[in-house]
Amino acid sequence: MILILSELSQEPLHAQISRQIRTRILAHDLTDDEPLPSIRALARDQRVSVITVQRAYEDLEREGLIRSRPGKGFFVMAIPEKRKRAVALERFTTAITPILEESRRAGLGDEQLRTLFNRVLRGNEHGGKQ
Amino acid sequence: MKTPANGSAFSIQGLKKRYPGFSLGPLDLDLQPGVVLGLIGPNGAGKTTTLHCLIGLLVPEAGAITIFGRPNHPDDPRWRQDIGVVGEDSGFFLRWTVEENLRLVGRFQPNWSDRRARGMAERFNLPMNKRVNELSKGNKAKLAIVAALGHAPHVLILDEPTAGLDPIVRAELLDMLWELQEDGEHAIFYSTHVLSDIERLADELVFLCDGQVIQRTAKDDLVESWRRISFRLAADATLSLPGVLDHRQVRLEHRVTSCDYEATLEALRGLGAEAIEHVRMSIDEIAVEILKGKGAPHVAAR
Repeated sequence: MILILSELSQEPLHAQISRQIRTRILAHDLTDDEPLPSIRALARDQRVSVITVQRAYEDLEREGLIRSRPGKGFFVMAIPEKRKRAVALERFTTAITPILEESRRAGLGDEQLRTLFNRVLRGNEHGGKQ
Repeated sequence: MKTPANGSAFSIQGLKKRYPGFSLGPLDLDLQPGVVLGLIGPNGAGKTTTLHCLIGLLVPEAGAITIFGRPNHPDDPRWRQDIGVVGEDSGFFLRWTVEENLRLVGRFQPNWSDRRARGMAERFNLPMNKRVNELSKGNKAKLAIVAALGHAPHVLILDEPTAGLDPIVRAELLDMLWELQEDGEHAIFYSTHVLSDIERLADELVFLCDGQVIQRTAKDDLVESWRRISFRLAADATLSLPGVLDHRQVRLEHRVTSCDYEATLEALRGLGAEAIEHVRMSIDEIAVEILKGKGAPHVAAR
């Protein structure tokens, strides 16, 4: 597994790790019941502390995306499609809320925001990532 | 994870050591097996004195020190089997080869394994046949680490191991420590005043200043709870905000440093502050604030 981690990011290291693994799980790059690297092996590979990987795995475990089997390590959970959608929806909502609030404070009305959102969505609909 | 019996890798309680013009402690510190703990402090903070008391090079005025439950008593040296030390001056014989030096070190360690030492030397590309005075700085540092680990101790103590090393050699040495942490069998206690050395490796950091522990935190908590925050607010400079250590104001614009940014942000929103921006701080910046302020007003301990 190749992760890209940086101290220069606004996102903490453990969140960078969990996000990058989450993306792979939701995109089926990591499939059901696939083993994840052990905490210490990933820490060594990525040159981060054990506690950092531990937090990333704990977060993913709490979200129900991975699970640990005592003595065997961590595995991708067999998650129903519905659940994956729910995770994706929740993350989308979390990500979009701050900018919505900020825009409202800046005086943009909901109607304007809807129009803007649709325009951005159209510009992005062929799979471009902006 | 294999955890040797007897709880803590080491435990220091009520340690006191005095010199003219300097006094250490009373200091309490412990380390759990498998954990990497960075000891951070400016020169003269008492880092080396602490380590020297821990490894029995100095006799403290007061305090109890145990290594895996065994007191570090000079008359019963069994505790030494569980501790490996990389000091500032390793005292190798310069005209002897690496192998000869390692063999000599092994004579003083009942649990020493030549095979283990050789295996490590091989794994880290340390040439056994070279004389120490022909070794590069990086290989000398590797030798010190192999010599400290040949008896398979469960705690490794390093005192400023990267002092005077160039960035490439430093990275090599840190690579060795990464390899070591992987099996989960070594607790690592690493003293440095160069925080970037330990920034990624350490699980926890302990800050030492003027002979006192001023803070001990999981590294990730530190990085997450500290922020620089700017905002606009019509208030005077006597503004009192939770978590805030440092406040600057130019007319309506404020900039603060917070060690508990969530609390600070909440308070700011309550006060109706506008244009709130917050950015994370590097671990170096945070360390400077901690050492400068001798600890936070209310430390973010979660």
